[in-house]
Amino acid sequence: MNPQPRREIFAAGALALLLLVLMPALNAWAPEDSFFYVSNFTINVWGKYLAYGILAISVDLLWGFTGLLSLGQALFFSLGGYMLGMHLMLMIGKLGQYKSDLPDFMVFLGHTFLPTFWRPFYSFGVTALLVFLVPMLLAKGFGYLAFRSRIKGVYFSILTQALTYGASLMFFRNDMLMGGNNGFTDFKFLLGGDMRSAATQRTLYICTGIALLAVYFGCRWLTRTKFGLIQRAIRDSETRVLFSGYSAANYKLFVFVVAAGIAALGGALYVPQVGIINPSEMTPDKSLEAVVWVAVGGRGTLVGPVLGAVVINALKSWATRAIPDMWLILLGSMFLLVVLFLPKGLISVPGLIRDFLQRHRKPASPETPAPTPAPKVSAS
Amino acid sequence: MPLSPAPIPLLLMRLLFAAIAFLLACCAPLAQADAPAEIIAKAVLLDDKSEEQIALIRSGEPSPELLALLTLWKEGGIFLVEGPEGTKIPVTLEDAKDADDKQAARLLLTRQPYLGPDGKPIRLLASDLNAAETDSDLRSAMKSILDLAGLASPDRSARLQAVETLGMEQDPLRLPALRARISKETDSEIQHALKEAVALTELKDADPATVTLACRALGELGSIRSQDALRLLAKDGHPAARTAQDALRKIEQHLQTVNIWGTLFRGLSLGSVLLVAALGLAVTFGLMGVINMAHGEMIAVGAYTTYVVQCIFGPGLELSPFGIHIVLPSMKATGWLYDSYFLFAIPLSFLTAARAGVVLERCVIRFLYRRPLESLLATWGVSLVLQQLFRLTFGANNVQVASPNWLSGHWLINDVSLGWNRVFVIGFAAAIVLGVFLLLARTPLGLLMRAVMQNRTMAACMGVRTERVNLLTFGLGSGLAGLAGAFLSQIGNVGPSLGQSYIVDAFMTVVVGGVGSLFGTIFSALGIGMADQALQQILGNPVLGKILVLVGIILFLQWRPAGLFVTRSRSLDN
Repeated sequence: MNPQPRREIFAAGALALLLLVLMPALNAWAPEDSFFYVSNFTINVWGKYLAYGILAISVDLLWGFTGLLSLGQALFFSLGGYMLGMHLMLMIGKLGQYKSDLPDFMVFLGHTFLPTFWRPFYSFGVTALLVFLVPMLLAKGFGYLAFRSRIKGVYFSILTQALTYGASLMFFRNDMLMGGNNGFTDFKFLLGGDMRSAATQRTLYICTGIALLAVYFGCRWLTRTKFGLIQRAIRDSETRVLFSGYSAANYKLFVFVVAAGIAALGGALYVPQVGIINPSEMTPDKSLEAVVWVAVGGRGTLVGPVLGAVVINALKSWATRAIPDMWLILLGSMFLLVVLFLPKGLISVPGLIRDFLQRHRKPASPETPAPTPAPKVSAS
Repeated sequence: MPLSPAPIPLLLMRLLFAAIAFLLACCAPLAQADAPAEIIAKAVLLDDKSEEQIALIRSGEPSPELLALLTLWKEGGIFLVEGPEGTKIPVTLEDAKDADDKQAARLLLTRQPYLGPDGKPIRLLASDLNAAETDSDLRSAMKSILDLAGLASPDRSARLQAVETLGMEQDPLRLPALRARISKETDSEIQHALKEAVALTELKDADPATVTLACRALGELGSIRSQDALRLLAKDGHPAARTAQDALRKIEQHLQTVNIWGTLFRGLSLGSVLLVAALGLAVTFGLMGVINMAHGEMIAVGAYTTYVVQCIFGPGLELSPFGIHIVLPSMKATGWLYDSYFLFAIPLSFLTAARAGVVLERCVIRFLYRRPLESLLATWGVSLVLQQLFRLTFGANNVQVASPNWLSGHWLINDVSLGWNRVFVIGFAAAIVLGVFLLLARTPLGLLMRAVMQNRTMAACMGVRTERVNLLTFGLGSGLAGLAGAFLSQIGNVGPSLGQSYIVDAFMTVVVGGVGSLFGTIFSALGIGMADQALQQILGNPVLGKILVLVGIILFLQWRPAGLFVTRSRSLDN
């Protein structure tokens, strides 16, 4: 094992320790007025960032490792969220505005009984299964059609964009019985825990952290197997993979479905923490935003996307309050600059500085080999 | 041969007669001009003797002046003031009000200002005055005169309007006038309306045979307007019920035909909109392979240019982006000059968007020709920035772009309404498609463009300045987007997110048509437009129709992954 991956693991481990153990502990046990106290708000916000991190990894698995720029990840993310949201809506019980067993929006629309497709969501176990199953099946169906006809590159992006757009149009409709414009909100209980209590939120935060770690190590393992090798080969030259006798379509389909599952997991963890899910989470723009995180963080690595998701969302939290008018300009130009001048993202900055210093320290020997050849990121 | 002296006086005499006749002809209207005012003045003074009043107003020739006065009277615009010795004087009020809400008045009879005994104009308060009264008999008499006069009105639309109102009234007393008009009317549409009105009125006839005939006639005419009246007949046990049902069935068929044609027309116009929006993309994406996510914003640039031009022609515009205060001058144009703003806006929006495109190409896209996926991302960044700039400059709300008068009417052909702006869309789309085709196929620049797009390296080897050609091509594509914007501003809202609503559709259009093929784009735009409108018509739900179209496109690409028209090449990828 070369030194960089080991360093990567150390860095990830240290971060995990900080985020997963230290922060919740300080939130739970530090006195509220002390310097070390981590507020409930902070925990909540970081929980959101980590859920976004999971989404970012799913984007990167497709884009950074397989060369598939999917603009449908926001769709799978919010589908996962919607599935859990349905369970949470049912768990409100009679505590809603209309004191009915039905979710409020259904009463509002004049429904008197629960539609059949809502019934399974009473059970948490079934919901947890459906969180993965529904987005993955959709991904399987769509991916099968797309990859079978060898739609690739930008066409794939445009098609996934259209898919997401169509789905958001559908979820905006009231007669879809998924809450229409307003989506789901006002959740009360999750597995018996009061969703507004600090303890539940902390638990959710820890679960998100663990899920992120699991996804990270899972993807790390996957990308290092022979499968991962073929995955990257597809990214670099799909035709050669085809000519070598591999069925590229099946590989791509598998990655696409896995990534959909990961995104759905992120969504399912995201919804109980922010307390709302509506179709505006589903738009192609949201997918592109996740792509921005990956691009800024550094695609083709697994730490980069998480870093990008956290940094950009922290920046967003700050900027939308401090300079609301300039935020989109900031995001857009940041993205532009990263794509133009920093194609490997923030994660490559230390390497670039090191190279730069080395070159200037020893101007006599320009042929100093780079310490580690960074994974090649090529255009598809 | 001696000239006879006789012809000269004869000629003179003739000239004299002609001059007198001419003078008389000139004076005649002047001499008669007082008549309507006199009639009305007399009638107004005949208070509460409505029969005499009616007789009086019926006696006058229905000249436009009489009709105008009648309308004024009916609407309570004629007032009676106390003159000297208790007489009443009918007056009308001037429009302008002073600070005390008082208005100057004119005598109805002579149109002279109403002066007090001291020779100064008297100013009156409208609320203090008694309007000349009308009772219901008088009002209905007035209405009938006005309506019947409308039948003979020289203005085509007023005539049509009058015929339609008379028809809906179903008043048998109006039949003679309507029938008389049929023979005189030359306009076929009004003729049609007249027949419809006559038949509609005849439905009220006591004789069942007439009613049956009228029902049949309405069925033949495909009269949509008479459906309610016919349904009433078809329900009760009227002897003509069966004929009425037949007629209803015929009208239903006619309605269906109308809907089909209407759908076709709307599909064609939506297709043209898509085509205009996608044409620029067909150049930048199809020919150059650059995914320009900011294409939608280029459309918005064109739309906002139109808005600015309109403001300069009209009331002027004040903008304050980033605290910088910009005041654009105003020409305060009205009428045809204001309406002509659009003719200036079209080339300007092309140029502005093309200029923006050139800047974009120089600053961003030229670095990314070999990385199409990244051009997608970078231009998305640009699109975010541009959207926010629009928001900061023009406000987050939609701005108002008024259509010129010559775009805001419609033709009614056999009950299918063809809006002029939609017809214009179709013509405009055809014109720019032709323009682009000629540019690409018939000019040296077009040849270079096609060469560079086919094989950039090879073209460079042959001495083509590819950088420059890239720049011009991208400018052309963006300019076309600007044209689309000028044009979409006439049929939809102009706001910061204008581009976003077209970008997905535009990309789909290009992909379905086959990237790199202008003809493919034309076919797919029209096809998608038609399918969308047809599904909307069938499902009665625009959103569901749109979703089905998207699903249809995904399935279509299964069948033809490279779109309708495949550009063949020997290269392995792409």
